[in-house]
Amino acid sequence: MKALRFERNIPRFAAAAIAGRLSSGSGAKVGPLKLRSIDAPTLPGPGWTEILPRLTGICGSDLATIDGHSSRYFEPIVSFPFVPGHEIVADLLAPIDNVPAGRVVVEPVLGCVTRGINPVCAACQRGDLGNCERITFGNIEPGLQSGFCCDTGGGWSTSMIAHSSQLHSVPEHWSDEAAVMVEPTACAVHGALSANVAEGEVVVVLGAGALGLLTIAALRRFAPPCTIVAVAKHPHQTQLATKFGADHVIDPGHIARPIRRITGSLAIGDGEIIRLTGGADHVIDCVGNADSISEALTVVRPKGRITLVGMPGHVHVDLTGLWQREIQLAGAYAYGTETLPDGSRRRTFDLAFELVEADDLGQLVSATYPLDRYEDAISHAATAGGRGAVRIAFDLRNEKERNRA
Amino acid sequence: MSPMPITRKQAIDLTKRLPINKSVKGFSRAGSRATRMVRAILTTPPVPNGVEKVSKEKNIGANYDTDWARSYPARFARVVVLNALMKPIVDLIATPTIVGTDRLADIDGPVIFAANHHSHADTPLMMTAIPEPWRNRLFIGAAADYWFANRITSPLSALLIGAIPVERQKVSRKAIDQSLELLKEGWSMLIFPEGARSSDGWARPFTSGTAFLSSHTGAPVVPVYLRGTNKVLPKGRNFPRPNPTFVVFGAPMYALEGEDSKTFAARIQDAVAALADETSSDWWQAQLRAATKATPAIEGPALGAWRRSWSQGTNRRDARRKWPNV
Amino acid sequence: MPRPGFVLDVDRSTPPILFHHGEGFRFEKLPPGRSRVIYPAEPIDPIKNPDGAIRDALENPIGDSEPLRALLKPGMKLTIAFDDISLPLPPMKSPDIRQRVIEAVLELAAAAGVDDVMLIAALALHRRMTENELRHAVGDRVYDAFAPHGLLVNHDAEDPDNLLYIGSTDQGEEVEINKRAAESDLLIYVNINLVSMDGGWKSTATGLSSYRSLRHHHNPKTMRHSKSFMDQHRSELHSSNWRMGKVLRDSGVKVFQIETTMNNNVFGTEGPMSVLQKREWEWTLKDRITAMGMKAALDRMPARSKRSIFQNWQAPHAMTSVQAGEVEAVHKITTENVYKQHLVSVEGQTDILTMGLPYISPYNVNSIMNPILVACLGLGYFFNLYRGKPPVREGGVVIMSHPTPWEFHPVHHPSYIDFFDQVLTVTHDPVRMEAEFEKSFAEDEWYRHLYRTSYAYHGVHPFYMWYWCSHALQHVGQVIIVGGDVRAVHRLGFKAASTLQDALEMASDVVGRDATITHLHNPPVLMADVS
Repeated sequence: MKALRFERNIPRFAAAAIAGRLSSGSGAKVGPLKLRSIDAPTLPGPGWTEILPRLTGICGSDLATIDGHSSRYFEPIVSFPFVPGHEIVADLLAPIDNVPAGRVVVEPVLGCVTRGINPVCAACQRGDLGNCERITFGNIEPGLQSGFCCDTGGGWSTSMIAHSSQLHSVPEHWSDEAAVMVEPTACAVHGALSANVAEGEVVVVLGAGALGLLTIAALRRFAPPCTIVAVAKHPHQTQLATKFGADHVIDPGHIARPIRRITGSLAIGDGEIIRLTGGADHVIDCVGNADSISEALTVVRPKGRITLVGMPGHVHVDLTGLWQREIQLAGAYAYGTETLPDGSRRRTFDLAFELVEADDLGQLVSATYPLDRYEDAISHAATAGGRGAVRIAFDLRNEKERNRA
Repeated sequence: MSPMPITRKQAIDLTKRLPINKSVKGFSRAGSRATRMVRAILTTPPVPNGVEKVSKEKNIGANYDTDWARSYPARFARVVVLNALMKPIVDLIATPTIVGTDRLADIDGPVIFAANHHSHADTPLMMTAIPEPWRNRLFIGAAADYWFANRITSPLSALLIGAIPVERQKVSRKAIDQSLELLKEGWSMLIFPEGARSSDGWARPFTSGTAFLSSHTGAPVVPVYLRGTNKVLPKGRNFPRPNPTFVVFGAPMYALEGEDSKTFAARIQDAVAALADETSSDWWQAQLRAATKATPAIEGPALGAWRRSWSQGTNRRDARRKWPNV
Repeated sequence: MPRPGFVLDVDRSTPPILFHHGEGFRFEKLPPGRSRVIYPAEPIDPIKNPDGAIRDALENPIGDSEPLRALLKPGMKLTIAFDDISLPLPPMKSPDIRQRVIEAVLELAAAAGVDDVMLIAALALHRRMTENELRHAVGDRVYDAFAPHGLLVNHDAEDPDNLLYIGSTDQGEEVEINKRAAESDLLIYVNINLVSMDGGWKSTATGLSSYRSLRHHHNPKTMRHSKSFMDQHRSELHSSNWRMGKVLRDSGVKVFQIETTMNNNVFGTEGPMSVLQKREWEWTLKDRITAMGMKAALDRMPARSKRSIFQNWQAPHAMTSVQAGEVEAVHKITTENVYKQHLVSVEGQTDILTMGLPYISPYNVNSIMNPILVACLGLGYFFNLYRGKPPVREGGVVIMSHPTPWEFHPVHHPSYIDFFDQVLTVTHDPVRMEAEFEKSFAEDEWYRHLYRTSYAYHGVHPFYMWYWCSHALQHVGQVIIVGGDVRAVHRLGFKAASTLQDALEMASDVVGRDATITHLHNPPVLMADVS
């Protein structure tokens, strides 16, 4: 089968890191990502099956990995060489367990059940798969998700394997584009709900890429009625933000001023605002770098909450404001099971399916590329905002290797 | 009788060669032709006996002719000295604060600046404080016996400070006439009506020459109050000490219908007193006091010398505002 | 003998006309045969002895009033209010008219033994004046005598302890003014009448009032019924102020009004700037060289340097008349004197009106002219400098020339930034703005704080700038800005052109190809008397 494989090659890692600093996405050319013809992965045990990816998205975390930005934190929880790609809609040729044959969406987190661990850990018991405590143990190599594990393969290939517990059936009438948006939508839903927004509060969403836009949609649908302020630079982002339910869309770079007016707070600074004395109740940071966290600290109110959904890495931030104004800074990763405002518990992926259908989120897939043009695909994904795009995906439906037996 | 050892001719030669005799008739023989010519020019031969000595009219003092100092080259030189040399020095030593120049905005034509007099530093201070266009066409009435005492100080006074000689002891028609003429030609005048520097910082009574000149030429009198110059160059000292000074210009004054010089002079003195009051407190307080005739006299209280100096007192406006303006 | 203003019909031999373009200028060729240029009158000779004239005016009042001397009694409470930094434009050379008048008044007050005196800068909702600006207006002597004791202050329209509600007019307009001024035995107002909008009851009823009063006439409805607000007899703005004045008078507030007029000698008759005031065909060789040289230098300078040069210009305009006494009687004479300098007879309207906007408006003295102020200067002030009918026909096009930078002064105009980003992105309709946004800006805590303690215009002020354009926006079919920042112009809701020729081309969509054009050669100030 054909796959893009991320190999353990140290000089190439370094080269990717440097290239990535100079221009986003150029780590693909010089880095350790290579297009290979390799054998399909072998099934490690019962409950596992082969699936054939149809569309796989390119996520921000994938880009960070390729450009050498991702933190060394990941070293023990990924296993080389791995095939990236965790936003997958694939063909299941034969039914397995409760999952009928047909198109499926993969829930990539590799928890206790997929690892054959019995009894499952406390987190998996509760349904909070993203918090599984056993991601480096069990029948398969360490890997927090499919797409970071050498045993499972990943979406950027023509064939991979998955456990039945990871598979969700796709409704007949759905397009592939809609299905491939389910996984990122689930991240957004989890992030939005973990913030615990109360009714009437002001929520600022930093970042208007795919994750930011999906967060806005998730807040509008599942959180109590609140004022959503989107921060968007490009015209298509502004339009989509408003479409998905943002009440205000403001320019990045000077967000303190409009937020001051929306929240009616005072400010420090005579004319040029340094920071607000009051501020927004919540800030959901879908960017995750030093600048966005610092900005969040200037506009969130005392005792407010910053929810970090975008993956940060090693950042240098002045946390004095966090201490002085008793601000909470919390991370939101992946998905599992959510508690809705009305108290009910539902799986994140189920909520994601609902949201993708309701808001027609398949429209966010702006372009697809075959595996051969992976350099273009990654470059497009890295500069998506400026080029009027939101989500870029690999299209594997026409790959020759896929349709061979 | 024994014969003389040398001949008469030899004796005369010998006498001539004696050093003491060499210089007596030596001019014709010592030095080159050029030197001889120079010496001839420079020597004044003695008046022969029996001839009466003619006394020449003295060309210094009150009779010194200063017209040359008002020609273009001289004026140009004065302007250069004023701006390039005098002003930086005055700024450095006297650090003057000049206020009230906006009161001069409407005046057309020459002005008589009448200031109180504490020290010799008053003159350079005034010359560098008076604004354009009067600064460059200015003459000063200066005491003849002091400033025009000899042949060195006379031309210097005329050139550098644009002075004309004024007799102190007796009223000289010449000085008045010259001043009137210059004023009519458009020259402005700087005068210290007290006539002399005050010895203890309080003012002496203002004489009436200033008032006379104003009423006869129509040029307004601008009263000026100077403070602090007595500490820069007090009477008796020759070397200046740095000290901050104030120059306060008052509103122009014209002689009223039928007013005599004495009354006008008193009015000018009152005006300078009001300026003094304005400087030590503020303009409004000075106005209020002026309305109730409570302006402190600049002649000072009728007290002994040390108490008069003592009551000169501190002035809260001497403290310089060091903070930069917004 | 100063020549009156006149209308030049442009033909083939007319030289390029000088258009002001912010801190700089352009030369534009107007199409011959269908364009006319309105030139202002030359500056009237100023009064030779201004101090004497002022003293005279105080002794011989106009209307039902005693001479000032008789009104001043010992032990009385006296307040002197004076116009703020928005007048005169540009700032005048020292000594300022206000300084002369206030010193003359204070001399009389001192002679009468009045010691309870307070001076107030009547700035309504404008920004507070800095120390230097106050010193320039009233002079060092008055400043040093009163300011250190807190007796020379900026009016604070948001100080609840210093505002007094006087009453309401018969149309329900609330009258609330500065408490000290209302409770004084005598209020003397020192006014500069730069244009015919100023003065009269507007001085006290607007200058010393608060938002509660101002909102009754600073709103779109009033502005649309003021055709124009420079002509007090056809101005709803003035009718409202006069009604409020009546309430003040009836409640016992005694006002002694001192009004002055100035000539329009803005750039001087000698010196490098004088070329901007001369008629183009009367330029000497020296003038042409000066103008070309200035333009070349200015085009290459960074914005900051240019702004600094222009904002430091102090104009030699001088007083042409002074009258004192009863408010309405005084103002009648003042208005006649203002018209003497400004009015230019113009026949008929044209399809297009062009104007070159200078670097200064009443609201950016020592500051930056942001896009909202550009709109206000052009469509508010310049458009309304007419009597009778506007020089452009209904449905015509207005073309303004100004760089319109997307730049705001963060200290002076903080609420303008928010207005530009948050209100203009939603609507350009002044009525909708008033309904949806005005209240939140007017009552915003932070803007109030900056107005009271910093040097910021009040939160509601940008709305007033937009309302000032209401009449023009209703009357005119299209607005085009030449040479402006495109994004900023679009945000204002206008069209952007790079040259005048392109602008005329764009205008032809609205007014046709052979449209007639009027150009206002302003500054110096002129007022078109259109028949």
